[in-house]
Amino acid sequence: MLSTQDSSIIPNEWYNIVPDLPKQLPPPVDRDEKKSSIQLLNQILPKAILKQEFTFQKYTKIPEEVQEIYAQIGRPTPLFRAKGLEKALDYNGKILLKYEGATITGSHKINTAIPQAFYTREEGSTGVVTETGAGQWGTATTVAASLAGITSKIFMVKISFNQKPLRKQIIELYGGEIVPSPSRETKFGTEILSRNPDHPGTLGIAISEAVEYALEHDLKYMLGSVFNSVLTHQSVIGLETEKQLEILGEEPDVLIGCVGGGSNFGGFVFPLMRKFKETKIYASTASEVPKFSKGEYKYDFVDTAKILPSIKMYSLGSDYVPEKIYAGGLRYHGAAPSLSMLVNSGRINSSDMPEDKVIDALKLFARTQGIVAAPESGHAIATAIDYVKNNTDQKETILVNVSGHGLMDMSIFQR
Amino acid sequence: MKPLILYFTADFPSYEILKRFLEEVDPEIVKYVEIGIPEINPLYDGPTIKATHSMALKNFQREHLRQFAEILIKKGIRVFALSYYDRINKEGTNFIHYLKDSKFSGIIIPDLLTDYSEESERIIPEIEENFSFIPFFNPATPDTVIQEVSSKTSSWIYYGLQPSTGIDIPFDLNEVSRRILDLVANREINFGFGIRTIEQIKEILGLGSSGVAIGSLMVQYLKDNDMEGFRNFQNSVRGVYLNAE
Repeated sequence: MLSTQDSSIIPNEWYNIVPDLPKQLPPPVDRDEKKSSIQLLNQILPKAILKQEFTFQKYTKIPEEVQEIYAQIGRPTPLFRAKGLEKALDYNGKILLKYEGATITGSHKINTAIPQAFYTREEGSTGVVTETGAGQWGTATTVAASLAGITSKIFMVKISFNQKPLRKQIIELYGGEIVPSPSRETKFGTEILSRNPDHPGTLGIAISEAVEYALEHDLKYMLGSVFNSVLTHQSVIGLETEKQLEILGEEPDVLIGCVGGGSNFGGFVFPLMRKFKETKIYASTASEVPKFSKGEYKYDFVDTAKILPSIKMYSLGSDYVPEKIYAGGLRYHGAAPSLSMLVNSGRINSSDMPEDKVIDALKLFARTQGIVAAPESGHAIATAIDYVKNNTDQKETILVNVSGHGLMDMSIFQR
Repeated sequence: MKPLILYFTADFPSYEILKRFLEEVDPEIVKYVEIGIPEINPLYDGPTIKATHSMALKNFQREHLRQFAEILIKKGIRVFALSYYDRINKEGTNFIHYLKDSKFSGIIIPDLLTDYSEESERIIPEIEENFSFIPFFNPATPDTVIQEVSSKTSSWIYYGLQPSTGIDIPFDLNEVSRRILDLVANREINFGFGIRTIEQIKEILGLGSSGVAIGSLMVQYLKDNDMEGFRNFQNSVRGVYLNAE
């Protein structure tokens, strides 16, 4: 029951929430007075990205080539009603799904990978480097780099690298180079391995390795989440949804998404918050990585090696080593500053979901909707199911962003 | 003439050297001077100014502020304090009264709207009862905050062109300027943060800014105790200002 696949639904401008926030967003800061980590961003990011990172403009034009590639990779993604799930839950309201798993790489990550690779090429760089947790970001980066005609190198968190061998194959098929992190390809990775050769890796460590590698090899670093420019690119999700809701004649009462660094969530929710001002909003995180409920709202480093600037966000600490949960994309210690501010102000609620409950939700979702959702997205689905169960007498319209498919994460069901 | 604002960190590089520099400030061109109160962690300053804070901390004595103000006021230059919120919070209204008694015309608190927005609703009117609260905005300040805080104050506005000083973030000067001038009409708005060359001063004055605030650009003269360089610098800026008239 697709609402439409009309390419006119793809927006021609991205939306940046920063000028619309209720308070001023604390800027990234340097913690070391001898060297500037913000200045470092000048070396590792394309200028266009850096400009978008700090812009006060609400809207930025999406380059035509990027718009065309958005259409090629499956945008607009579908918005549809989850009648099977509604029936299974005996719910009298409506559950709507925005399905980012319908892109060619199977997740929302491609939405920002494409513009970042595009700007890298436009500014004359030959390749990009990045980290990946579950592998979705690494895959998206490789596809975007190949489409732009540049190289890609991916540092993948070791535990996910071992759990998900298909990711290595697909990244290599797309033309990328992939190494498990911590690795011996950087000074930082080597140092970690010398202390603990079996270190499972974290996203923070992989970020540090990717940044170091980009600096050493004069390549550009791709930002996977957390940063404002990434949330801006991801706004295509919410902007499309807004138009699709209009076509369907629906207005959401509740918005739910999952949060790793916050990019699919921010990209989905922020554009919709402009119009649906009273909507209840839930950010679903892993109980094993309870950044909002147990973390602190403070300045903290983006990465474990403390190479990148400090940003004000909810954080469990940049050296936090999360449990070995399957949803690698949610194992990050912090969350985007704009999202953190809105959680801190009480505008956005948080919901922690344990892995066993997520697995049950994924199974129910697969059997009622026919979609194998990503473990990360399973958190949003579990939160939606919980919401329905606690509000059975309501007839609300619940809109859930399913950030990706889980066809490469099947081993989660073998537990 | 359009206002030129110079920023100095109190007691950097030392009490004596700063005093001699303040005596050299040319009142024909400099309209205001900002005196930064040294802090352990001046979070929103760039690396150049941050380094001045850590050096100045060991020299700093509150009583010097009054003496610095005296030197400048005698020349007809208005003096403003720049302090992070932590000190104001710790010392309370006493600190504001001390600054007012020392003939400071107002205060800039760079982290107030960012990190203490709830407190700002209480503290801005308290400050305004004594002297001017100078709103400090930058490109990340939301439109609604700019409009609301501007309406509660009547002094000049400090508009930072960058999120932090001394850092080279690419931005479109035209866009950044037009935005604040459109949001707050008929108000003295002085631009600062990240102004690194005399050429930039020229460009900014041409964009409709009331004046320009300069900080990082002078640090080397102070560090080297280079009075001749400082005099030449003021003369170069004077040339730019005269041409802008």
